[in-house]
Amino acid sequence: MQLDVECLNKKYRGGVHALRDVNIVLEPGVLGLLGPNGAGKSTLMRILATITKATTGRVLWNKADIARDPDALRNVLGYLPQDFGVYPNLSAVEFLEYLAAVKGIGAAAARKRIGELLELVNLADVAKRPLGGYSGGMRQRVGIAQALLNDPQLLIVDEPTAGLDPEERVRFRNLLAELSGQRIVILSTHIVSDIEAVASSIAILARGELLAHGSPEELLATVSGKVWELTVPTAEFAELRNHRLVTSMAHRSDGVHARIVSGAAPATAARPVEASIEDAYLLALATRRNASSRAAA
Amino acid sequence: MNAVSVIFSVARADFLERIRSYSFLATLLAAIYLGYAAATGKVVMSLDEYRGVYTAGWIGLMVALVTTTFVSLIGFYIVKNAVERDRFTRVGQILAATPLSKPAYMLGKFLSNFAVLASIVLVLALGAVAMFFVAAEDPHFRLWALLSPFILIALPAMALTAALALFFENVRFLRGGFGNVVWFFGWGFAIGLPDILKMPRLDPLGLIGAMNSLVPIARELIPGYKNGIALTVAGGHAKIAENLHFAGISWNSESVLLRLVWVGVAIIFTLFAAAIFDRFDEARSWFPAGATKEPKNSAAVAETTPEAAAVPELRKFTQVHLTPLDRTTDSGGFVRIFRAELRLALQGNRWWWYVVAAGLIVAQMALPLGAARGPALQFAWLWPTLLWSSLGARESRFATRQILFSCANILPRQLLACWLAGVSSALLMSGVVFTRLLLARDASAVLALLAGAAFVPSLGLALGIVSGSSKFFEGFYTALWYVGPLNHSPGLDFTGASNGPRTLHYAAIYALLAVTLLGIAYIARSCQLRDA
Repeated sequence: MQLDVECLNKKYRGGVHALRDVNIVLEPGVLGLLGPNGAGKSTLMRILATITKATTGRVLWNKADIARDPDALRNVLGYLPQDFGVYPNLSAVEFLEYLAAVKGIGAAAARKRIGELLELVNLADVAKRPLGGYSGGMRQRVGIAQALLNDPQLLIVDEPTAGLDPEERVRFRNLLAELSGQRIVILSTHIVSDIEAVASSIAILARGELLAHGSPEELLATVSGKVWELTVPTAEFAELRNHRLVTSMAHRSDGVHARIVSGAAPATAARPVEASIEDAYLLALATRRNASSRAAA
Repeated sequence: MNAVSVIFSVARADFLERIRSYSFLATLLAAIYLGYAAATGKVVMSLDEYRGVYTAGWIGLMVALVTTTFVSLIGFYIVKNAVERDRFTRVGQILAATPLSKPAYMLGKFLSNFAVLASIVLVLALGAVAMFFVAAEDPHFRLWALLSPFILIALPAMALTAALALFFENVRFLRGGFGNVVWFFGWGFAIGLPDILKMPRLDPLGLIGAMNSLVPIARELIPGYKNGIALTVAGGHAKIAENLHFAGISWNSESVLLRLVWVGVAIIFTLFAAAIFDRFDEARSWFPAGATKEPKNSAAVAETTPEAAAVPELRKFTQVHLTPLDRTTDSGGFVRIFRAELRLALQGNRWWWYVVAAGLIVAQMALPLGAARGPALQFAWLWPTLLWSSLGARESRFATRQILFSCANILPRQLLACWLAGVSSALLMSGVVFTRLLLARDASAVLALLAGAAFVPSLGLALGIVSGSSKFFEGFYTALWYVGPLNHSPGLDFTGASNGPRTLHYAAIYALLAVTLLGIAYIARSCQLRDA
C-alpha cells in the first residue's frame, strides 16, 4: 500500500495559502507530522481524509486519485479529527454501531469489533451510558475507537492525545506503534516526544511548506554534533537567548542550564550532548525563519 | 471599565459576529424584499373591502403594522441564539471565568438582539419612505406621521421580542425546538390577548391600539363598515375610500407611555433571564434538563472504579488483541443504517413524548374518520416536528460531520436512511388514518397522505442540511401547519384533508415538492462532502 502526495496546494478564500507544493510518499509505518500552529497540518490531514479538496495537486492511494474516487480510500480509512462531536443521547455502543453501519461493516463483525475496541480503550464498563455524560478524555477514547472500527489501512489521527491524561497518552502512543505494522498511520501533534516515541518517519511543515521529511535518524543527522549544553548565570541568559537557538532551559542553583543548537561550540564551557528530534525540529523552523527574514530584507 | 462600557462591548461583539454571517445577509435581503413589497404597493391594509388614501400616516401605519407582525414572529427565531452561540463556540467558558456579571452579559445580548431586529425595522421604514414617494396619493409629506408607528409600535415590540428570545434561551425546556413551537402559538395568543382578556392596554404588539385610532374614522367615513381590518403582503386589491385621508396616529402622553411600558417589560424579562442564566454551567441550570437525561457523575464514576483504583499500572488502554476485520459480510447494511437513523431520531425523547404520540394514534382509531383525518391527524403530524427538524441538521449540531463524511458511500445511503426514518415516523403517526382510508378505498386521500408523509421529512432534511440548524424548519413548518392543515387552507394542507376535489392535484404537487427537496438535500450534502 502506498500514499502519494503530489504537488499539493491549498488556498482558502481570502488568499490564505495553507499548503504549498507538498510532495510526500508514504508506506506502512507511522508518519509523525510536526509543525507550529497554522503550519497546514490539519489542512493536509483533511485533504488526505477526503474531507476537503486540494486547490491543485493530487493524492494517490495505491495509484488511484482520491479526488476522483474518494470512496476507494474511505473504505479503508480511519480518521480522528482534531475537533469532533458525538451524539449525546446515544451510548458508546450505539454510536459505534451507527458508524459501523455507515462504514459498511457487517453486523456480526461490527459487534465483535466494537466489543474489542471498547475493551481496548477501557470504556467497556460505561459502554451503555449516554455519551453526553462522558468526560473529555472518555469522548476522545470513543473517537479513537471509531477511527479503528473498520480496521483501517490508512489511519489519520489529528492531535489524538488532546484531552488525554499522561497515562492515557503513553498507552495510546503504544497502541499506535502496535497498529503501525501493516498500515500507514499519520499522526499530527505538537508533542514531539510522542512522535519521537512512535514515528518511523517524520515530516516538518511550516507555513504550508514541507521543510523536511525523513526517518528519525536522517532528521537527527541534520543536527548531530550541533547540540550543546551550557550553564550560564541567570543574568547572562537573556543575552545568550538573543544570539543562539536555545531549545530548552532549566533554572538551577548554579545558573541556567541551557540546551543550544549551534554549528560551533557557543562557549568554551559548552559540552556536546546527544541530539533529539526536538532539536532538529526547532533547527528546521529557525532555518526557515532566517531564510524568510533574509528574503524579506 | 464601567458597567455601561461592558454592556456595550458585549452587545457590539455579538452584533458584529451576527452581521458578518450569511444568515444575517439573508435576513436583510428578506427585509429588503418586504421593503420593496411595501414601496411597490404589494402591502395592503384594508378596512373590510376599502383602504384609505395613501397618505404619509396611512403608509407609515400600514408598513409598520406589517413590520411588527412579521418581524416579531420571524425575528424571534433569528435572534434566539445569542447565548447558544457562546455555548456552542465555547466562548461562554471564557466569559464565565471573567468578572462579567450576569445582568451585564444579558443586557448586552438584549441590546444586540434589539439592534438586529431594529436594523430590519429600519430597512422597512426606509421602504415606507420610498413607498410614499412612489405611491402616495396625498402629497403632504409628514415625517412624524410616517415614522412614528415604527418608533412607537414596532421598536417596543422588537424590544420585547429580543428579551423574550433571551428568556427562552435561559429556560432549558424552551431553549430548543419545543420553545420554537411554543413561541409560534404564544405569539398568536399575544395578538388576541387584549380581546381575550378584554384589556385593550395589554397589547404588546401595539396592533389593537393602532386599529383603535383608525376604526372610529373608518366607521364615520365608510358606509356599512363592520370593524374588519386586514393586512396583506402578497398584493391585494381594495377600493379606495376617497374621503379617508388618515393623518396618522395622534399620539398623546398616555399612548406613548403605554408603548414605552413594553420596553420596561422587555428589560424586566432580560433581568429575569439574567437571574436564571446558568453562566454556562449546566449543573447550575434553574430548570432541569428535559430531553437529555445525563447519568449522574458517570464520568467520575468511570474514571475511578474500584478496580481502576486498586491496580497501579496504566489502565486507560488495556491490552486487547484486535481481530482482523472480516470485510466480506455486510449483509443488511442499509437496514442497519436506517435502524440507527431511526434510533437517532427518536432517542432523547422522554417517556411522555411516546405517551402523547400513542394517544394521538389511539385518537385516530376512536374518532370518526372525518375527525380522525382532521384534528387527530393534524396534531399527530405536529407532534414529531422536532424529530423532523433534526434530520439534516444533526451532523452540524453535534459536530459529527468530519467523522461521518470521511466514511465511504455516505451518499446516498445515509441520506436516504435518514429520510426514510423521517417518512416512517410520519407514516407511523398517521398509520391508522392511512389504513382506514385504504379500507374506505379513498385512493386520492391515500395518495395525498403518502405525498404529505414524503413531503414533510424532505422539507426537514433539505432545510436542515442547507441551514445547518433545526430552527428554520421548526419556524416554517409550524407556520405552514397553522395556515394549511389547522386552518383548512386548500393547497396548503399537506395532509390532503382540506383539498376537496383537487386532492389528487395537490398530492401530485406535494410529491413533486418532496422529490425536489430531496434533490436539494442531495446536492447540498454533496457540496458538504466535497468541503466539510
